[in-house]
Amino acid sequence: MRVTVISPEAAIFDGDADAVVAPAYDGQVGILPRHAPFMTLLGRGTLAVTAGGTTHRFQVDGGFLQAVHDTVRVVAEQVKGLPNAS
Amino acid sequence: MAKASRALRGRMRSVQNTRKITRTMELVSTSKLKRAQDRVVAARPYASALAEVIADLVTPELAERFPLLRQPAPPSKGGPTKAALLLVTSNRGLAGGFNSNLIKEARRRLEQLEAAGYQVDLHLIGRKGIGFFKYLGRAITTQRIDIGDKPTAAHAGELVQALITEYEAGRLASVDIVYAKFNSPLSTPPTTLRVLPVETPVKQKGGMKADYILKPGADQILAQLLPLYVRNQVYRGLVETAAAEHGARRTAMKSATDNAGEIFELLKRTYNRQRQAAITQEIAEIVGGAAALEG
Repeated sequence: MRVTVISPEAAIFDGDADAVVAPAYDGQVGILPRHAPFMTLLGRGTLAVTAGGTTHRFQVDGGFLQAVHDTVRVVAEQVKGLPNAS
Repeated sequence: MAKASRALRGRMRSVQNTRKITRTMELVSTSKLKRAQDRVVAARPYASALAEVIADLVTPELAERFPLLRQPAPPSKGGPTKAALLLVTSNRGLAGGFNSNLIKEARRRLEQLEAAGYQVDLHLIGRKGIGFFKYLGRAITTQRIDIGDKPTAAHAGELVQALITEYEAGRLASVDIVYAKFNSPLSTPPTTLRVLPVETPVKQKGGMKADYILKPGADQILAQLLPLYVRNQVYRGLVETAAAEHGARRTAMKSATDNAGEIFELLKRTYNRQRQAAITQEIAEIVGGAAALEG
């Protein structure tokens, strides 16, 4: 599935991924490919996007996550890339 | 003759120096424009994602419940009498008519609002706008000169947060922003955008509305996203104005450079003609003198 991570200033991440774990307003939410159309608010925490063997991590705060047509959009007011962990 | 040609040489030097300066400014603006333009483009996905989602979620019944979406009553019917106007200008001049066009647009809007019976609070960003309204002697509610040409989303938040609170409390009737819309480096028309009440983005045709699972409900999501949308509109205003400023300065400096080149050519031609005339005259004098000696 295609995943984009967008902050007001720029699109931080755009690519194919196997899984997304995002900090929703009330706890973690995991999205796998072919998720049903879904929308939730984000809280503050670490967003992890797993693509191939690597996991990209981002510090996010506020905004929303939208999953529709096998495309996940994470739109957050503040996004900061964290060092990669395998 | 010698005196006239010295004066000409002086002018040629000064025109050439001016040309060097404007040429450098043109090059500087070109590179700054490139970066500012990249920022405008980079800001697009966020704005369109937000607009799309809000368009998806808003329904007329929901719209009634959100103060940010509601049109307040006019002052004649007991609504708020204060309106806010944000004006984004640049901190620096030498950009042709860029700032004066923005100021003109702001004054037009100001008159409209005042004619409708509102008392307008001015929120000015950029030295040029502040200077102008100080000169007019108008009260300025807030002024910022520290934003410069690299605005961030945080700047936009600072600017508009207080206004959102005021608006929600029913003390403000509307918030407008006057900024330079960045169509292209050559087309940057001053534009007025109504930020509050939020004009809900219209849904693009074609995309079918998905049946979302919403967590929490649509109303809570909207409550969170509407302020983001408002902040983003102000952010876009800031970024586009920054890019437009460099575009306008580049155009202004380019024509200044061209003009300086033309003037220089003209001076050079005049100078050469004078020099040639002086030489011809000297030769004629020598020949005449020699002829007189020969008798």
